[in-house]
Amino acid sequence: MSQADDQPQDDISLIGEYALHLLDADSRLAVEQRLRDEPALREMLRDWEEGLVRLADDIAETPAPARVKARIQAKLFTESTQPSRSPFARLSSWRGGTALLAAALTFALYFAPSFLFGPTGPTFVAEIMAEDRAVVVQALFDPVSGEINIERAAGAPADGRVFQLWLIAEGASAPVSLGVLPSSTEALLTVPADLREAMIGGTLAISDEPPGGSPTGAPTGAVVAVGPLVTSS
Amino acid sequence: MTTVADIESYILRTAMGDRAAFSALYDATSAKLFGVCLRVLNNTAEAEDALQDVYVRIWRKADSYAVNGYSPMTWLITIARNLAIDRLRARKAPAKRVEEVFDLAASGPTPEEAAIQSSERAQIDMCLDELEKKHADCVRGAYLDGDTYSDLADRAGVPINTMRTWLRRSLIKLKDCLSR
Repeated sequence: MSQADDQPQDDISLIGEYALHLLDADSRLAVEQRLRDEPALREMLRDWEEGLVRLADDIAETPAPARVKARIQAKLFTESTQPSRSPFARLSSWRGGTALLAAALTFALYFAPSFLFGPTGPTFVAEIMAEDRAVVVQALFDPVSGEINIERAAGAPADGRVFQLWLIAEGASAPVSLGVLPSSTEALLTVPADLREAMIGGTLAISDEPPGGSPTGAPTGAVVAVGPLVTSS
Repeated sequence: MTTVADIESYILRTAMGDRAAFSALYDATSAKLFGVCLRVLNNTAEAEDALQDVYVRIWRKADSYAVNGYSPMTWLITIARNLAIDRLRARKAPAKRVEEVFDLAASGPTPEEAAIQSSERAQIDMCLDELEKKHADCVRGAYLDGDTYSDLADRAGVPINTMRTWLRRSLIKLKDCLSR
């Protein structure tokens, strides 16, 4: 900051205009070239941004719809190579606290469901849908039986394609296939025992795939619908 | 209550590919960044798309955070604002792809220095108050709404070159005040 006195005034206003996004594309590129070469200019830009950012204090926080986070995770983490199917591999890659929680949940689900959920247990629901609601699929998950009831309310795969259901576990793992949806509008899938604890807090997604489902173990087609799995109340 | 130190820690862990930290970063900061996108774009669907771009960028560029010397919220808000304004400009006219400043390696200050530099809200307000009100409003319009020189000149009813001269002078005064 103290260096401002040494800087040519033209640069001070130029970098201010850059920070405010007032320059046209050519001038912007020229500034970026100089920023790359001139550390003092980068410091000046940082000072501008730190000075101006307080104007954003007036901007109200607005929670984004849950589908945005699901879309971000689908975009970033479905492009990765292979999902890890082993619960042990997943656990080892998680942080200790999360792993402990997951282990506790696993224990609770398998050995003490009545303690955790009462005799009937809670169910979880997801409305898996496209942004424009062209595809809407309701999913109802029972963590004790591992069954997912699927009801497709809108949308259908194109001829010669299928819909495949994926789990994107909370914050952590790559998407894991829960199976290909049959052509009927209603279906019952069973979640493998080693995935049931990862369902809680997770997001379900549907991708467009060739017959028989993704050949790679990760989604290969477009993700057509997403929705978080939440406690049904 | 998420602290600045928590957010910084989430960013640094995101840089190491920690998806849980990235998820926590999203939960702690997305409402603010969505607000920034909405303010610039004034359209929910576009702001959602911009917010998606923002967090994809954050995931991919988190490793450049530590060398830039920005305080964590400034870094995040700057990314959100830049991408939202890029989207706003693209809506008006096809824009050339612009390099992101965050790609640049930088010899920034230490986090302690950055913390000291993080100015109080009062400072920007006080410094804008030293400008003529119509000029201060132009700075706010450019920063918060992504207004262009053309938008600002139209609103003030002056030629673009006049607006440019006004604003450049104002920016020099403003920077001088912010540096005090």
